[in-house]
Amino acid sequence: MFSRILVANRGEIALRVIRACRDLGVEAVAVYSTADRDAEYLNLAHDAICVGGPAAGQSYLNAAAIIAAAEVTDVEAIHPGYGFLAENPTFAQMCRECQIEFIGPSAGAMSTLGDKVQAKRLARKAKVPLVPGSDGAVENEKEALAIAEKIGFPVMIKASAGGGGRGMRPVHNKAALAPAFRSARAEAEASFKDGTLYLERLIERPRHVEVQLLGDRNGNIVHLWERDCSLQRRNQKLVEESPSPHINAKTRRKLCSAAVRLAKAANYHSAGTCEFLVDEDENFYFMEINARIQVEHPVTELVTGEDLVQWQIRIAAGEPLTLKQDNIKAKGAAIECRINAESPDDDFRPCPGPLRRMILPGGPGVRLDTHAHAGYVVSPYYDSMIAKLLVHRPTRREAFATMRRALSEFVVGPVQTTISLHRRIFDQADFIRGAVDTGFIERNFASTPRAAAI
Amino acid sequence: MKIDWLKSLVKVMVDNELTRVEIREGETHVLLKRGDAPVVVAPPAPAPLAAPPAESEPTPTLNNELFVRSPMVGTFYSAPDPESPPFVRVGDSLTSESVVCLVEAMKVFNEIKAEQSGRVTRILVQNAEAVEYDQPLFALAPD
Repeated sequence: MFSRILVANRGEIALRVIRACRDLGVEAVAVYSTADRDAEYLNLAHDAICVGGPAAGQSYLNAAAIIAAAEVTDVEAIHPGYGFLAENPTFAQMCRECQIEFIGPSAGAMSTLGDKVQAKRLARKAKVPLVPGSDGAVENEKEALAIAEKIGFPVMIKASAGGGGRGMRPVHNKAALAPAFRSARAEAEASFKDGTLYLERLIERPRHVEVQLLGDRNGNIVHLWERDCSLQRRNQKLVEESPSPHINAKTRRKLCSAAVRLAKAANYHSAGTCEFLVDEDENFYFMEINARIQVEHPVTELVTGEDLVQWQIRIAAGEPLTLKQDNIKAKGAAIECRINAESPDDDFRPCPGPLRRMILPGGPGVRLDTHAHAGYVVSPYYDSMIAKLLVHRPTRREAFATMRRALSEFVVGPVQTTISLHRRIFDQADFIRGAVDTGFIERNFASTPRAAAI
Repeated sequence: MKIDWLKSLVKVMVDNELTRVEIREGETHVLLKRGDAPVVVAPPAPAPLAAPPAESEPTPTLNNELFVRSPMVGTFYSAPDPESPPFVRVGDSLTSESVVCLVEAMKVFNEIKAEQSGRVTRILVQNAEAVEYDQPLFALAPD
């Protein structure tokens, strides 16, 4: 086991890693930017070192400063948390070249999985279903029609060079295809100077279901079941839960096995998450693997009883995975709400500022992961998440009741938070009966007319 | 003035939860202030390098002092090499271009410049000591 590791992150995940270190008897060195100088969680680290100015680029993304900090504090490993440098293969490689272990997968696995084309190739090799598509550029309308008829309507025409939702056209039938193709091409040429288009089946009202993976250095890989993250807004997750209410036992087994197959094909080790889209007929399609610990990992920790961050550290230290797949059971239902310092009634505008009042929820079935406290100042330099509120109960119905209670106990002020939004979400009939999709929040919670027009 | 003596004084303040200590000795005047809230130290107590300063003035200051602060994390070296004399001594006059020390990180030795002018009154770190971003290295009396 390591005697000292550096935590290359901030906020709640830095605190999470510090806690895992303290549980394991490992000394944790925290880094901080000048903006985070007064954060109380730094006092829980064995040592803390300032690595740069407030902007992430000067500090938490400053690989040279972080490695320098690791050297002067004489650590044996770096835990990157999530975001920042967590999925940066160059950084992972730099650490290892400096004789400092990077707590995560190999740089090679990370870059393969970070490349969409390579990841899909690997999925095909591992016989993991992909969204049916054109497998490359589509030259003209005739070819587009042939492919669309083969993969089945509705389809989405997408620009290869695209982004920001531009150069995309949903097409629901043959007649609409040719005009949509021409229009997408024109927009792609205008926006990206590149009219290359490809085709994919359009998954309508998809559910987002992801599988937690753990692998050791000996090639043993297990899954720790799934999480459903369908409640999103602009591709940001708001609520996650396990088990997924949208899939049956057979789909669950197939999905989780597929994730393990893919991770093995990628020579993956450490913690990772394999994301799928699931349609209303419970067909699932591979999206991507996130080669890091994720924000919502506590959902899995609650249903399985395993400490994922401790496992990451132990695996990185060379320990074998002692978990057998057959022994990994999911018990009960767990739900997480991400609490952000944002104004849900004002287009989710971030609300930095001091948290003068903070009363925390608690009691049976409640877990709260937060670095914030009364007096903590939410700074404008980083993301706005201030807490993760989780519940775990024997049934989903009881979990809902406890979450409603916990949300009502949670007082934060004067900054605005998304607590009020979550309270409304947990009253939504479709969510209660387990029938939502990734468009649900935007359809039901457009906060201002301004938001709808975007 | 020795930095070790100041570090001991800070430790005395923390251990006894003092918020203000003022010492006059001849021409030397030292005033140390700590923030309003007592520092909560969870065992094991962080080393002085470790604890983020609880007060707004991380280094005990004399009036009107300027500080040369480290622009990077690394190891501080007071001289160009072990055989040479140090870059600066107390009493030296610096311009903004004056090289005051080296900070080494990942085997690269970076020359640190004063970036301001003044006369060196105190050297706040020791040779081969680890330094962090923004850490005060030298105190200067302004011109």
